[in-house]
Amino acid sequence: MENMKILIVDDDVDLTKAIRATLESNQYTVVTAADRATGMERVKSERPDLLILDVMMGTWHDGFEMSREIKSDPQLKDIPILMLTSIEDKTGIEFKSTAGDPKWLPVDGFLDKPVEPDVLLAEVKKLLPSKA
Amino acid sequence: MEPGPENARLVQRAFWLIRLRWVAAISVGAGTFFCSNVLGIVIQERALYGIAILLTAYNLAVYLLLRHFTGARDEVPYIAVKRAINFQMCADLLILTVLLHFSGGIENPLVFYFIFHMILASILLSVRESYLQATFAVLLFGLLVVLEYTHVLPHHCLEGFVGHCSYRAGLYILGVFFVFASTLYLVVYMASYISVRLKRAEKAHIQANTLLREKDRIKDEYVLRVTHDIKGHLATIQSCLGVVANGTIGRLDEQQADFVKTAHTRTKKLTAFVKTLLKLTQLRLNGESQMDVFSLRDTVCSAVTGVKAKARDKSITVESDIQLSRDRIYGNQVSVEEVITNLLLNAVKYTPENGTIAVRTKNENGSALVEISDTGIGIPEDELGNVFDEFFRASNARAVEKDGTGLGLSIAKHIVERHGGRIWVESSQNKGTKLAFTLPIST
Repeated sequence: MENMKILIVDDDVDLTKAIRATLESNQYTVVTAADRATGMERVKSERPDLLILDVMMGTWHDGFEMSREIKSDPQLKDIPILMLTSIEDKTGIEFKSTAGDPKWLPVDGFLDKPVEPDVLLAEVKKLLPSKA
Repeated sequence: MEPGPENARLVQRAFWLIRLRWVAAISVGAGTFFCSNVLGIVIQERALYGIAILLTAYNLAVYLLLRHFTGARDEVPYIAVKRAINFQMCADLLILTVLLHFSGGIENPLVFYFIFHMILASILLSVRESYLQATFAVLLFGLLVVLEYTHVLPHHCLEGFVGHCSYRAGLYILGVFFVFASTLYLVVYMASYISVRLKRAEKAHIQANTLLREKDRIKDEYVLRVTHDIKGHLATIQSCLGVVANGTIGRLDEQQADFVKTAHTRTKKLTAFVKTLLKLTQLRLNGESQMDVFSLRDTVCSAVTGVKAKARDKSITVESDIQLSRDRIYGNQVSVEEVITNLLLNAVKYTPENGTIAVRTKNENGSALVEISDTGIGIPEDELGNVFDEFFRASNARAVEKDGTGLGLSIAKHIVERHGGRIWVESSQNKGTKLAFTLPIST
């Protein structure tokens, strides 16, 4: 069976490195991007099985917009998105409960930074489509 | 436009003036009755009763007008209120002069009452306006004395009170008038002197207060920015350490693993602290952002369920008695649940094994009351007053857990107060603690 492919889009390359290590040690193939434009490019070219997305990259809402863009594209909308962010600490606004709202925050999972490896792996496992 | 508080206070004082005038109207009526019926002094009863009625009617009109103006608009123009007070003061002086005329003129010691008006003017009006009021009073009194002296107005002698009528005694009149005029000006001078200084001191206090609040806000913003940056780095450090500590990228020898684990644990604690500090700072700066109506019963149940596992680990029994006939709260459910969870986690933390935690809720005077009591270590009596202070930790709490942030209860207090509620603590050392808070029920 081919390994599942996960794309991480986050501008913190050190954090990306840590997540990549965790995922790779669990036999996932990892692709990364550090900004929204590259991220969109990779989503289209790599067709990952899961997208791990940060909210604040160039602007404070890049991740939100990217998730909406993906979910409104019929070719990409089935890729599950796991939002990994510290936006709640930055803004004081609670987003977790609105995650999944198709217009506002069309993501499938939502985790606060920092995330422990086992929590991340459990969430990733939950969101990945079962390729039987 | 004058600042709001000054305006509001002027309106308040206008109402105070009205209350004083009610007393004056009653005193005129009662005084007339007493003087004529008890003391047997010959006075112009009908005219004086008339003045009492006139004063009552005039005061009622002023009261209704002021009520109308303050009720109709949120902001009553400062100038308008000031003008109204000036006008009333003049009217009061005029009525007092007429009263004096019908009750013996220069012979009546009621003339001292002009002093009250001068003190009132000095408190309520500007220095210039106060001197103008004094001048108006002197002119009125002078006119009364001259008109009575020249028989343009009849003099109503106070028979039975003074030995003989003195309204024609030139030198006496001059003397009284001189003392009267100088007294009024001196009273205005002294009262204004004090009043102006008080106003200036108050203004300085208000300014200092505003400055302090602004500085506090700048400090909060600074803390917010700094802690957020720190948190970003910490999150990455924690994740990197996590990868090594978990053995994801290869095994370490025992000593290496021990050091990395320690670093990882301490980073987690620091992250938790920074997150709490961020939450508190945000609350201080912005308050709750998302408000909605929610069920307090569900929120309490959810919080209780959330901490049951931790309580079970210490064999602590959690009893809950939730009696809320009305439980709709307007606010931020996540924050309120966080408050309850925090209080419950505190209770678990500071209650020894096999203890009991009781959660009680009930409706009380339009509010919902939530009480969380435990059989824990309690809080020393002399430290009870500080438990809601930022970074404060009770001395015995530090012995139980070294690394607490001391922010949990101040966050709880902020959240409860932002919701219009109240939070308090009762405790007795080594017996237990009760944390209770109220939240207003949404109508």
